[in-house]
Amino acid sequence: MASAVHVFGIRHHGPGSARALVAALDALRPAAVLIEGPADASDLLPMLADPKMVPPVALLAYAADDPSVAIFWPFAAFSPEYQAALWAHRHGAAMRFIDLPASWRLGAIGPDAPPPADEAAVPAVVRDPIGALAAAAGYEDGESWWRDVIEENPAPGPVFAAVADAMTALRDTGPTPVGREAAREAHMRREIAAVAKDADGPIAVVCGAWHAPALAAATLSAAAGDQALLAGAPKRKIVATWAPWTAPRLAMASGYGAGVVAPGWCAHLWQTDAADIVPRFLARTAAALRRDGHLVSTAGIIDAQRLARGLAAIRLRPAPGFEELRDAAIACFCDGERARWETVARTLLVGSEVGHIPDGVPLAPLLLDLQREQKRLRLPPEAADRELALDLRSDSGLDRSVLLHRLVILDVPWGREADAGGSRGTFRERWVLRWEPEFAVRLVENLVFGATIAQAADGRLRAEFGKAASLAAIAERVLDALTAQLASAVDAGIGLLEKRAARTDDCPELLAALPPLAGVVRYGEARRTDAAQLGALLRRIVVQAALGLPYACRGLDDDAASAMRVAIIAADEAVALAALDDDARAAWRQGLQALVDNAQTAALVAGAAARLLHQADALAPGEAADLLGRMLSPGRPVADAAAFFDGFFGGSGERLIDDDGLRLAVDRWLAALDADAFVLHLPLFRRTFADLDRTQRRRLLDAVSGAGPRGLPGFAPAPGADSLWPQHFARLAAILTAKPQERPDDE
Amino acid sequence: MTAVLRPPAEQTHAKELAALKAADGGPKPANWQLSPRAVVTYLMGGKTAKGVPISAKYVGNRRLVETAVATLATDRALLLLGVPGTAKSWVSEHLAAAVSGDSTLVVQCTAGTDENQIRYGWNYAQLLAHGPSRKALVATPLYRAMDAGKLCRLEELTRMGSDVQDTLITVLSEKMMPIPELNESLYAVRGFNVIATANSRDKGVNELSAALKRRFNVVVLPLPDDMDEEIAIVVKRVGEMAEALDLPAPKNVAAEVARVVAIFRELRGGETLDGKVSLKTPSGSLSTAEAIAVMVGGLSEAAYFADGALSAEGVAPAMLGAIVKDPVQDKAVLAEYLETVLKKRADYAAYYHALAELV
Repeated sequence: MASAVHVFGIRHHGPGSARALVAALDALRPAAVLIEGPADASDLLPMLADPKMVPPVALLAYAADDPSVAIFWPFAAFSPEYQAALWAHRHGAAMRFIDLPASWRLGAIGPDAPPPADEAAVPAVVRDPIGALAAAAGYEDGESWWRDVIEENPAPGPVFAAVADAMTALRDTGPTPVGREAAREAHMRREIAAVAKDADGPIAVVCGAWHAPALAAATLSAAAGDQALLAGAPKRKIVATWAPWTAPRLAMASGYGAGVVAPGWCAHLWQTDAADIVPRFLARTAAALRRDGHLVSTAGIIDAQRLARGLAAIRLRPAPGFEELRDAAIACFCDGERARWETVARTLLVGSEVGHIPDGVPLAPLLLDLQREQKRLRLPPEAADRELALDLRSDSGLDRSVLLHRLVILDVPWGREADAGGSRGTFRERWVLRWEPEFAVRLVENLVFGATIAQAADGRLRAEFGKAASLAAIAERVLDALTAQLASAVDAGIGLLEKRAARTDDCPELLAALPPLAGVVRYGEARRTDAAQLGALLRRIVVQAALGLPYACRGLDDDAASAMRVAIIAADEAVALAALDDDARAAWRQGLQALVDNAQTAALVAGAAARLLHQADALAPGEAADLLGRMLSPGRPVADAAAFFDGFFGGSGERLIDDDGLRLAVDRWLAALDADAFVLHLPLFRRTFADLDRTQRRRLLDAVSGAGPRGLPGFAPAPGADSLWPQHFARLAAILTAKPQERPDDE
Repeated sequence: MTAVLRPPAEQTHAKELAALKAADGGPKPANWQLSPRAVVTYLMGGKTAKGVPISAKYVGNRRLVETAVATLATDRALLLLGVPGTAKSWVSEHLAAAVSGDSTLVVQCTAGTDENQIRYGWNYAQLLAHGPSRKALVATPLYRAMDAGKLCRLEELTRMGSDVQDTLITVLSEKMMPIPELNESLYAVRGFNVIATANSRDKGVNELSAALKRRFNVVVLPLPDDMDEEIAIVVKRVGEMAEALDLPAPKNVAAEVARVVAIFRELRGGETLDGKVSLKTPSGSLSTAEAIAVMVGGLSEAAYFADGALSAEGVAPAMLGAIVKDPVQDKAVLAEYLETVLKKRADYAAYYHALAELV
């Protein structure tokens, strides 16, 4: 005797359906609960109801021979499928998945072919018929429509009968399902019939609303047609397991195809009593805005609620839905500014929940992937330190390096770079490898980001981009992505850099981004990566920073000026390193020139800019000397002149050896300083010449004293200078070492 | 044909209002002439239930108008914010015409507006002859609106001093106006509400106090979404103004308008029209109205100083004036735009050179 089959057509991830479903199951008390999901993963289904399983989680099936071919079926707390499993567990009912086995779907993908875009090929109305009906009715949110039309339906009647009626009408207007869709329904019918044959009680079938009409007649029409549909399906060996999931990933379409547009909103609908949905959502919005420092009063919440009701009335809706709440929040909390709403919308609508899976679920594909890679690259995990030198020009060297870099991104530092940072841009890397047991656990935690090491590293980097505070930090992560050959993360990072770069007014931030970016461009060559688009971005940041320089270097105090000098010098190196076009170089030089020309520029920075221009031969002959003469002329405050001197010569006094003009200008200035000022700035002078080696000092002294070929004009070496010099030198040394008591009294 | 230069909206569109009223089956708040849905139809255009066509008064986002109308139906006041030239007063007038059938209860707020012009004044002859009484009061538009249950419009609310603005607090929150001189109060009749407009870009005006601000629901009216629509508006208005000023219109006006509007839209939108490069925005509003002013300035320059030839050099100084409101910040923004975007566009070369020279 076959049991009665009750079909519940639900909206995937629809809290409204979930609520109605639990009530319906309570009323029906089925002996078996059949859920739309891959039949060959039925063994895993009871685990879903494990109390230690915290949604969001995803059922994950992947090809045993290639974990990158994987399908996810995510479950949130508000998913009807999850609630059905919980109900079955609580009441001891049997439960199974009844959809096409995952092995068939993965088999269709094939070992070499790329994953087909079959989800996108399925029309929206089939993937999410309730969302499609809602959109047709002018709703942005399918859940609001469900509530308004299905649950608040003035005609009394069971909710799921109404859904089935609507879907029957909808299916009658469209073509009959073909291909995989037809096979799926055939498979579900066959499974239902098989269970119905020997169940001793009613059977509940939980499936997407679209399929409800096709399964209702299940026991009648499990016929020869179905057998034909199911014959000869491709098969592939698969492995299935559970993976932790996150709210943001729920927001992306996957698995069921019915991606959740706003998991945060759905969770709110699920957790909140129907009567409290409006005030609680507004209160949460207000709280989020307050956290961001906006003033939102309690009275404002009351007003927003009234406005939402008024809007619902104007739009002829029985109760305020998502759109009314949003519009009311914008008008009452955000001074009408949509942008302010957008700042909290992500927190409110997506949320940041992370799921958790209990111990004892089958092995994660990330570990399998790692084992395969280790075998392929002949890099067995060893607990003892092992040194590894890689030549990036060979395929095996490059592949090994990429794997190690990806693992570092995943916070699994199996290998540590022996000279991290120093080797970038060269063809060699040195690693120290040591495998720790806890790495396996850390690796599995990354399952949230993807099923293979490449996918997970990519996903993790993308997530980190969002958190990076500065341009330089993002640029560093892009460099990481490039090193680890994660092309799509590189693209995402560059896109983000472009956006941030345009928004920032902060010249130091732009400057700081240049060195890592130049590294990316250069490193790209060693890594065989196409970094062409980076060139445009780098060029843009150079131009932008150059334009901002004169404004950023005004009125700086000493510390800020020193920091700026360091940043500008590093940026100049980056500009020189990266193969930029002449236009960009010219723009950068113009920026430096503007620094020198602008009287308000901090003197230290102006000096540094002048030196960079001088180094690059961008100053006309004699111009440097003229400039130095002007900057060090007695009319200028000594502190400014000294700062300029410091900026120009800081750490590179050798410049004075061969340039008569510069030397003359400096000499004039030094000679004009009064004793106090000279003593005050002695440490500066000392610093300037500190890096000169013995020969250089000798040559400089020769030049100054006129012993060399280019003495100062008007000065001639004193007769017997060679014998006098040691005495003079001793005195100078005494001054420089600040031991005045050793100063000889005579002379 | 009336002798009045510009009659109020309820007269100009009397037929549409009557048609809407005749076909209106929806529930009406007390003292409203139309149901809220019919008010939205009046503003956005469409057809009445009986098929009479209604012209669109406001071209833009329907949701904004719905929010505005729903606000008026609650006890919160409505504040229309926006940069100059976004139809704030226009929307306010038509809302009042549709809701109350009377758009003439207007207070133009200025720095010189005092409390007597907001609450009530005294007829001193009456006051001296008969002593204080309601008869000796001179009612203001706000007073009349409260008394009759109509909408009162406050134009440019933020231009009025903060102390005067705050007299509105009691009116908006308790819907009554105390008259201490008579030991009486004026209680607002149902249907009363306030529509205020304010300019969101002006600096140096009186900020709304937080106490007052929270009694308003704010609807921000944006600049036109659609480039072609905006170009059409500018071309039409420039043509009209050139005619009024007896300026000959050179042939290339439309092409130059397209370029100027494109530059304005990119700068105020914060990204290039193709969406590939994001930009900083200058502090000026760069509204449609300003694009019109720039083009008219260019035409005038062309007619009087350039033998009728409209060129980038003629338009550039006016553009610079519209874009650079803050001499330091905006200049940097413009320089960045010129170097990173405009420089690479061959068809904008004239603008690049003319503007780069001026910056």
